[in-house]
Amino acid sequence: MTESTDLERRYRRLLAFYPKPFRREREQEVLSVLMEGARAGQRWPRRAEATDLLKHAMAMMFGRPTSHELRHPTPWVLLRVVVGLWLLILTVFLCHIGQWWALALLAPAVLQFYLGYRVAIVVDRERQVGGPPSPPSPA
Amino acid sequence: MSKRAVQEVTFLILTALAGGSQHGYGIITDVEEISQRRVRLGAGTLYAALDRLREDGLIEVDREEIVDSRLRRYYRLTNDGSERLAEEAARLRANAQVAIARLKSNPTDGVATA
Repeated sequence: MTESTDLERRYRRLLAFYPKPFRREREQEVLSVLMEGARAGQRWPRRAEATDLLKHAMAMMFGRPTSHELRHPTPWVLLRVVVGLWLLILTVFLCHIGQWWALALLAPAVLQFYLGYRVAIVVDRERQVGGPPSPPSPA
Repeated sequence: MSKRAVQEVTFLILTALAGGSQHGYGIITDVEEISQRRVRLGAGTLYAALDRLREDGLIEVDREEIVDSRLRRYYRLTNDGSERLAEEAARLRANAQVAIARLKSNPTDGVATA
């Protein structure tokens, strides 16, 4: 039973990235789904599971892109990328002259890239119709 | 709600619930079976989809059970959900029929002969 409590603790740690209201309502339920899907003796979340949880936790944490972002995706994605890159360059420059505190700028830079990426995936998903086509079956 | 085509994951979840109410893990295994092992939903994806479907009024909570001290919440289709799934299934069938008919009428051109 100790394996399952190890695993459960690790799943809980991943679920901690979700916003509080979601956890209050869903944590027990999601946890039981995760535990039911676990193999006997499994001690760590599978990587695919972990990335899936983190991806959706981030999406929930930062909400959906605004309708303005979705109507004009290209300038918004470009803006996010440019601001992110500018922050990266600033970080490199400041670190170069010994201002190591500038490493903290990496957080907003990553956030900008993430926000741009999020608009891109939502737009891409809404364009997609009914998922990938299945291969034609032999008659 | 717009009548835009639903995503495949959404379609599969609605299909899983079309046979009766199911809990989260039941939906995951059923979707895997319906899609012939092609789609295995992660818990994050499943709950994002369930939340959206609930907001859109296509599914609702049926009941809750405690099994081995674990919470199981069962979901079922609403009337709107059944209607939406029927429309979507008809749309997919119509598209597939056209595709199959065209491939048959023009067999030398398609990749289907490979």
